[in-house]
Amino acid sequence: MASLSSMKNRKLTAEELDRFGAELDALRARTVATLGARDARYIRNVVKAVRYANLAGRALLFAAAIAGGLWLADSAVGWLFWVLWALGALSLGLGKILDNMELGHNVIHGQYDWLGDPQLNGRTYDWDIVATAENWRHTHNFRHHTYTNVRGLDDDIGYGLLRIFPEQKWRPFYLLQPAIAVVFALYFQWGVAIQNLKLGRWWHGKMTTRQLRHKSAPVVRKMGRQLAKDYVIYPALAGPFFLPVMLGNLVANGLRNVWTYVIIFCGHFTANAETFPKECVKNESRGHWYLRQLRGSSNLRGGFLMNVLSGNLSHQIEHHFFPDVPANRYAEMAREVRAICARYGQHYNTGTLLTQFGQVCWRIVRHAFPSRPPRTASSLVQAEAAA
Amino acid sequence: MNAQFRPSSRRPGALKRLIRPLVKPDVFDFWASHLHRTWTWERPLARLVAREVASADAVTLLFKPNRHWAGHRAGQHVNLGVDIDGVRLTRSYSLTAPPRADGLLPVTVKAIEGGKVSRHLQSVARIGDVVELGPAFGDMTLPASPAGAWLLLAAGSGITPLVALVRELAAQDMPVDLTLLYWVRRRAEACFVDELRTLAAAHPRFRFRLLLTREDAAAADEAQGRIDDALLSAHAGDLAAQQVMACGPGGFVARARDLLASRAASFRAEAFTAPPVTVVDEGEVDLRLLRSGRTLRVPRGASLLDALEQHGLKPASGCRMGICNTCACGKSAGSVRHLPSGALAHEPTQALKLCIHSAATDLELDL
Repeated sequence: MASLSSMKNRKLTAEELDRFGAELDALRARTVATLGARDARYIRNVVKAVRYANLAGRALLFAAAIAGGLWLADSAVGWLFWVLWALGALSLGLGKILDNMELGHNVIHGQYDWLGDPQLNGRTYDWDIVATAENWRHTHNFRHHTYTNVRGLDDDIGYGLLRIFPEQKWRPFYLLQPAIAVVFALYFQWGVAIQNLKLGRWWHGKMTTRQLRHKSAPVVRKMGRQLAKDYVIYPALAGPFFLPVMLGNLVANGLRNVWTYVIIFCGHFTANAETFPKECVKNESRGHWYLRQLRGSSNLRGGFLMNVLSGNLSHQIEHHFFPDVPANRYAEMAREVRAICARYGQHYNTGTLLTQFGQVCWRIVRHAFPSRPPRTASSLVQAEAAA
Repeated sequence: MNAQFRPSSRRPGALKRLIRPLVKPDVFDFWASHLHRTWTWERPLARLVAREVASADAVTLLFKPNRHWAGHRAGQHVNLGVDIDGVRLTRSYSLTAPPRADGLLPVTVKAIEGGKVSRHLQSVARIGDVVELGPAFGDMTLPASPAGAWLLLAAGSGITPLVALVRELAAQDMPVDLTLLYWVRRRAEACFVDELRTLAAAHPRFRFRLLLTREDAAAADEAQGRIDDALLSAHAGDLAAQQVMACGPGGFVARARDLLASRAASFRAEAFTAPPVTVVDEGEVDLRLLRSGRTLRVPRGASLLDALEQHGLKPASGCRMGICNTCACGKSAGSVRHLPSGALAHEPTQALKLCIHSAATDLELDL
């Protein structure tokens, strides 16, 4: 599979690679120069959408709880309960998705730091999931974005749980991964939350229990807060009808988990996405870094709704080129990025959600079983001609 | 000057402490602002409630702070965070009065050529607009029971903190001998003059002089010329007995210091630094670290991250190429160069990434 993608890509000379990087740098500079009121308005509208969707969701779930009470007395209002409950869970799920993706993920990248708004600052922002923003800044902003798809450096490759690429060593445990992947999708926020705790190191005795306890204290605190909010406090406000509220919150969290899992897996695990050996990043040039981001990322085709709901990770390639540029600019940058990639003979990996996620699922199933990487070692650059 | 916005340190009430773990301040602020524009969980905000002409090129703005404003003393300054085209810009302004009975905060803003915030506050900001407030700061304040003789030297905008001191002493019925020498280029630029003259007439212990550098003196309390020995001796009496406070542009404060620091009973000064005119990339600059209180000499050309590490500091950092935002850090004064593009950024308060910016002028960082 990986060899296919290499065939579509022209090998660049070192000089071409520099020009490729320079063109992308120039695109970045052109975009940053025009940041202003439009982008400020956009992100504040996203904040508004999150707040209103959450409020509507909570209110509808309370209304459903009351309708549920009436239902016990009069079986004719059963339909009302289900409608209110479903709308409430959906609306809350939507609010949580927006908070997680278009707001949290992008703000934590520091994309809107230039606004000078202390409530939209990447260093201090926290989001409505069990993972702490602090750990995310390390595992995602630094590790994943600097070492995208580099084996041994980017923990996002299979999250230490799944074998997505043939280059990962096969173990019998992976035979279970189609089932594990489904459970992982349902509990994705928990996976993200414990990613930086490196439980594997503790399991193998490379970290003491004391160290682990110290490291996990903020995560456990955040988990407690999140659990208390969605499963104790809000349900308790509904008194005897707490159950519909609690279940609605559970469904909303589940919707958000599955959706973010799907989007994120489509970003780097499609058929044509590549992984790279560690040697790749030694003395890496800017152009090479860009090329690696391109080869390791894949986009999703779709309109405005897809862009907003995916936190503009539908433009995963643009996001990986320019992680600190406001995401609402990716769609217009994509036109130029595509043209630049075409000029340098580089494949621009994009597709519908259905085809991209189909490829991800195939990888999860295929590499549950032993598999071998293609023999053609794909170096990104043309070997220097011997002098 | 510390440009960070921090909530007031007052101890919150019992109810607030009880529900604090359940409240996300940004969510609370979002909904509270629907009810009242300056209601927040803990951020000090203020609403513009009045605007008055102060001179030919200055206006006085009155702000009504919310309950999280922790108060100030006469002579102190405050950072105003003003939203212009959706972007928060921060500038320091002096409060021109001691705490008032109506709780309003007066700020006098002079239009500065090319000044984004001053122009906005002068002509664009409307009554009802909301600004963010930093905590009051500054050391040019009076003791609880002032005594002896005081000499205040103001030049241009330097009058703004000093007029607050005059007003405070006047409210105490002038318990000390007070002299205010106020330099402006032309009479029309001077602020507060009518009030200062009225106070001088009402309080025999208060002497006020308006000194003009580009116009001839006309009134009895006016004189002409830049600050020098002769003017000081003529208008300030016995310098050795004076407790001096000076405020104005850097050059003015430096001259005042030369003339008075070794002769007066005490000397305190604050200078407004002018924006940089030319920027070079050689040599070294002073890097002030506000949290640790250290000042380092760092080379202009190097990235701030490298420069800090050269001094043995280890600020949080990650990718070292400007993408991961781990080394992002608040800057409260000075200009930096964005190394990848070479562009200069002069905005005094903004977040910057240490790994891809170098110092262009003396800097203050929130480290």
